[in-house]
Amino acid sequence: MSETKKDESGEARVGVYICHCGGNISDHVDVEKVAEAVKGIPGVVVSHTEMFMCSDPGQELIQKDIESGSINRVVVASCAPSLHETTFRGAISRADMNPYLYEHANIREQDSWVHHGDPATAKAITLVAAAISKSRGLEPLEPIRVDAANHTTVIGGGVAGLRAAVDLAKSGLKVALIEKTPFLGGNASQLDKVFPTGEKAADLIAYLTSAVIKDPNISVYTCAEITGFEGYIGNFNITVSSKAPQGDMLHQVQAATAGKFQPFGGFLPKGIPETDTEETLTTGVIVFATGFKLYEPRTGEFGYGDNKEVVTLRQFIRIMDEAVPGTGTMKIDGRPIRRIAMIHCVGSRQIPGIHEADADDYMNEYCSRTCCTATLQAALEIRDKYPKTQVLDYYRDIRTYGHNQEDYYTQASEKNVLFFRYEPEDSPVITKTVGEFPLKVSVIDKLTFNEEVEAGVDLVVLATGMEAKSITNLVEMMKLPVGSDKFLQEVHPKLRPVEMANGGILLAGTCQAPMDINESCNAAQAAAAKAAAKAAAMLGKGYVELDPFVAKVDPEKCKGSGECITECPEKAISMTADNIAEVNPALCTGCGMCVAVCSVNGIDIQGWGLKAYEDMVDAIVKF
Amino acid sequence: MSEEKKQSTATTDMKKLRQERKEYISGARDKMKGQNKIIKALKEALSGDPKTIPELAEIMGMKTDTVLMYVSTLKRYGIIGEGPKDGDYFKYELTK
Amino acid sequence: MKAKRDLQFDAIVIGGGIAGLQSALDLGDQGYTVAVVDKDATIGGKMIRLSKVFPTLDCASCITTPKMSSAAHHENITLFTYCTLNNLDRQTPDKVVAQLIQEARYVDPEKCIGCRKCEYGCPVYVEDDEQGGFNMRKAIYIPFSNAIPQIPLLDVENCSLCGKCAKVCPTDAIRYDMKPEEFSITAKTAVLATGFELSSMEQKPQYGLDRLQNVVSSMQMERLLAPHGPYNRVLRPSDGKEPDSIAYVQCAGSRDESLGIPYCSRVCCMYAIKQAMLLSGALPLADITIYYMDIRAFGKGYEQFYQNAKAMGIEFVKAKVAKITQGENQTAKLRYEDQEGNGGVMEREHDLVILSLGIVPQWDPEGICSVGCGQDGFIKSIMPKIAPTVTNIDGVYTAGVAAGPKDIVDTITEAGAAAMEASNYMKSLA
Ligand SMILES: Cc1cc2nc3c(=O)[nH]c(=O)nc-3n(C[C@H](O)[C@H](O)[C@H](O)COP(=O)(O)OP(=O)(O)OC[C@H]3O[C@@H](n4cnc5c(N)ncnc54)[C@H](O)[C@@H]3O)c2cc1C
Ligand SMILES: Cc1cc2nc3c(=O)[nH]c(=O)nc-3n(C[C@H](O)[C@H](O)[C@H](O)COP(=O)(O)OP(=O)(O)OC[C@H]3O[C@@H](n4cnc5c(N)ncnc54)[C@H](O)[C@@H]3O)c2cc1C
Ligand code: SF4
Ligand code: SF4
Ligand code: SF4
Repeated sequence: MSETKKDESGEARVGVYICHCGGNISDHVDVEKVAEAVKGIPGVVVSHTEMFMCSDPGQELIQKDIESGSINRVVVASCAPSLHETTFRGAISRADMNPYLYEHANIREQDSWVHHGDPATAKAITLVAAAISKSRGLEPLEPIRVDAANHTTVIGGGVAGLRAAVDLAKSGLKVALIEKTPFLGGNASQLDKVFPTGEKAADLIAYLTSAVIKDPNISVYTCAEITGFEGYIGNFNITVSSKAPQGDMLHQVQAATAGKFQPFGGFLPKGIPETDTEETLTTGVIVFATGFKLYEPRTGEFGYGDNKEVVTLRQFIRIMDEAVPGTGTMKIDGRPIRRIAMIHCVGSRQIPGIHEADADDYMNEYCSRTCCTATLQAALEIRDKYPKTQVLDYYRDIRTYGHNQEDYYTQASEKNVLFFRYEPEDSPVITKTVGEFPLKVSVIDKLTFNEEVEAGVDLVVLATGMEAKSITNLVEMMKLPVGSDKFLQEVHPKLRPVEMANGGILLAGTCQAPMDINESCNAAQAAAAKAAAKAAAMLGKGYVELDPFVAKVDPEKCKGSGECITECPEKAISMTADNIAEVNPALCTGCGMCVAVCSVNGIDIQGWGLKAYEDMVDAIVKF
Repeated sequence: MSEEKKQSTATTDMKKLRQERKEYISGARDKMKGQNKIIKALKEALSGDPKTIPELAEIMGMKTDTVLMYVSTLKRYGIIGEGPKDGDYFKYELTK
Repeated sequence: MKAKRDLQFDAIVIGGGIAGLQSALDLGDQGYTVAVVDKDATIGGKMIRLSKVFPTLDCASCITTPKMSSAAHHENITLFTYCTLNNLDRQTPDKVVAQLIQEARYVDPEKCIGCRKCEYGCPVYVEDDEQGGFNMRKAIYIPFSNAIPQIPLLDVENCSLCGKCAKVCPTDAIRYDMKPEEFSITAKTAVLATGFELSSMEQKPQYGLDRLQNVVSSMQMERLLAPHGPYNRVLRPSDGKEPDSIAYVQCAGSRDESLGIPYCSRVCCMYAIKQAMLLSGALPLADITIYYMDIRAFGKGYEQFYQNAKAMGIEFVKAKVAKITQGENQTAKLRYEDQEGNGGVMEREHDLVILSLGIVPQWDPEGICSVGCGQDGFIKSIMPKIAPTVTNIDGVYTAGVAAGPKDIVDTITEAGAAAMEASNYMKSLA
């Protein structure tokens, strides 16, 4: 394979490859016709179709044409480039050609999935023609290399954050673990036993915290938050501000013993800050593990707030822990609890038109995933400890999906927990009563053919769901993508659940979506694996590679007016001593704002230059 | 490819292999015979206008599921194509 | 092939489904050498055989091939397909040894260029399990168009040894006398990602799978819906009619003590909803009914997906299906106990009925590997809450459905976790 054969900079010889995508494309676009139609475009030397271009035979088609020397530009027309751009660049690299001599036409999402018949085929031809025109002007590019720090930062010290920190440290990286509160363990600290193993949450947290404390690679920052952020993968600069605890927090700290787990508080590490301090860290990768917050029912929602006999499941777990064991009937503050109602899906699975939206017209439409099993676990504990206390369970669907969880459901039925199934539009209604019981629950029960069932109860337990923790300052500072459910958003909900679109920022645990402890730990370990892979690549080479689609100054043309510097939202441009603008390619996102304001066309985006747009528009007009 | 013997068959004692795999071979041959008959009948039935599965089954005197199995197989190997729809059923035709 | 006697890698991954591939990629990206062993002739597992995936409705081929292909082309990853695992044993802290057999494809992988001329040339048709048994392949065949590797295998039991494939093969790659070959792989750590299969309905004859023509399994339905499926559209298998009325029977083989599968299979609610949505797109006039006990749409975006399906007019009926029998005009007749509305035992006929079968482990380690399994047969974690991939054998981990039913995203996450444990295990040896 000689350089002359491919002749990357010589006259463009374009190979065009059009994908059927099984039938995703070819059911609507006549791909053969597209292949035929573009054959006549100047520069095109081959034009193929293939069932799946991303499959090995498809990729080999490209490789063969490059290796035989017949082409030096590649155009693939298939699905969205976000799926397969790297696949095809990889194939081109393997054939020893510069991978940036490649252009992609999206004829699936932007065509066959939205248009049908002749218009779809016509649009495909236009899109492919534009890509061909652009490809002719492409030049070989090299990825940008930036130095990388052997350091990672984990934000949040719940189970997910602890788990991630332990694994990162074990893999040889330095870790800063940053926790807002004085305690480690997060929301799991509020639990007693955990499903589905019945282990104590305290023991699980202790296991992880002792590993964290022991590891010399981990520095723990409690009472700390990130207040400053800049940089890019491999080279983030963050400011960590620690504040001495005050008020309520101080009381909690004083009530706990440093180096020990405080029940329903968390693990208190030694070295709680006594003064406010600030520190700047250079870190290569950041793992988010900021967790969730519990849904707070509105006043009056299922009687919450109006009646002291209505509590959340979390409150109830603590009440149970403190209640006197074994008298046949549960007692709270001396009050016998003869019958308990447990209500599922409070603050979860809300439906527009049925549930009340908040001031921003937002509601929690998702399922919180853990509350069904947590509720049944509590129900079983009541039935085991206090056989004379009855449990009524009001649910929509019982979602005991996980390992051993169905067992809780079966056992609950066997132990005479009474189930009522409600539809969201006929949710249970809680009313005060005078008489035998302080409260009454009425519901239209789907299980008994829509009969209205009323029951007096001594206590109502609400299985409140999980909500995204509000971390607006971090989201804004780091420009993080957030989903419509307010949780942090992963790159791809199926394939890349622990990565964010922001290079070098990863996700662990419930900051991404509701999950239980084992799922949070899996996610944390998966995020740590991604971080370790990035670190291995960075440390092996000593640098990170970034895409080269960034602004580049033409020193011949630049007059040093500095318009671009003021316009650049990333502050990526500076002026050299010679009064010529200079771009820091690691900071540049290739947005093109600078290109738009430069009066002398002295700055352009590599791989996406103004000429490329002109060529594409010309082609679109023509075809 | 030319008539010269290939490694696949030249260096292999085919006779011995045939002996070893006698049962498989006769099973496969029987299967093939039956299949060829059906395929022939199917092609004949399709020599005129495009037809639906129940129509073909009627002509061939066979069960509809078997006919569908063959039609979809020959479609996979490019011998039969899908034609217009007739009520709830599609018609099939021979590709040229 | 001699070089294959004993091979050394840092890690060995058993199973090349999405779990195994993701583990291998996460290890390979950290610089470790990885062997991926699959018993199947192609990598990709179940995911590559699906139609589209919930909740994104991405085409499964389109999102699985990149993973398959990046594993296949990874400088640190080597694939071993069509291999039988006879033994897997930890011998010393830095040695797990896998005893394997490379089964015979009867095609020389070094010579074959994957042109499929042999397949077209072969005169014998064989029912194709890859297409749900709805159409036929040849006796020599590449499993499907995006299989990796693109090398055919010859199904000797159906080969008439007529020599046609050898005759048309342009590279002289056919080897009728190929023999299975033993070899071994020594590694420091292992990940078991052997996945699942669907529960057998033989124990539940009242549902009529294998007996009634238009009662199909959910995996068969995936094939009917796949862009490259047996009919290229959804037709009733008994006679090619476009179905007007389609029904799903949920928990068919899960949550049922009598079948020995008391657990929830975790994905069938969601895939049924997904298939129902795809069907209502493909057949806008068809009535689609899902008979269920509880709808378990618990993952990210899943509940919204379920509510969308309801809004699209898919009918959800809370009911227990007792029996399925032959109805009139080739329909399948469902007898069920309605648990809502007016209740009572009801009957309804549908053109096509899909059984949402349960998920059971594909591999039984008994006699091959001392890894511990739970009562349900899935590989057991010894630290299920905080290190779910850790098994009873040091330095041997598990991921994906091999460790219990889960969907793709949970599988991928767990595979990453297993890779983390495996790489930290190797670091701890140094
Ligand atoms: C009532 C109830 C019962 C449950 N029962 C079980 C059970 O039995 N079994 C089970 O497996 N799971 C159970 N769960 C789920 C379990 O609690 C969660 O899976 C787990 O706690 C999630 O851990 P995490 O680390 O992701 O988040 P969290 O526990 O929320 O931890 C996040 C941490 O990040 C910190 N943080 C937040 N923002 C910042 C910031 N800006 N800077 C620095 N630090 C920050 C927080 O202070 C917190 O310490 C239950 C949940 C509930 C609500
Ligand atoms: C009908 C259906 C539809 C589905 N739809 C969706 C969906 O839309 N979205 C979603 O998220 N999930 C879906 N799923 C679930 C999804 O299929 C699984 O989550 C995923 O395939 C699990 O991957 P895995 O790698 O763990 O297992 P598998 O895909 O089963 O892979 C296991 C691999 O191991 C190999 N293997 C097994 N035993 C051995 C051995 N002894 N030696 C060597 N190799 C071995 C197998 O050949 C296979 O390649 C669906 C499942 C079904 C049944
Ligand atoms: S887990 Fe159960 S209680 Fe919680 S939101 Fe989901 S369905 Fe409702
Ligand atoms: S004909 Fe030969 S080269 Fe082509 S796929 Fe078959 S075995 Fe491989
Ligand atoms: S996921 Fe749904 S259909 Fe599958 S076993 Fe669980 S409840 Fe039944």
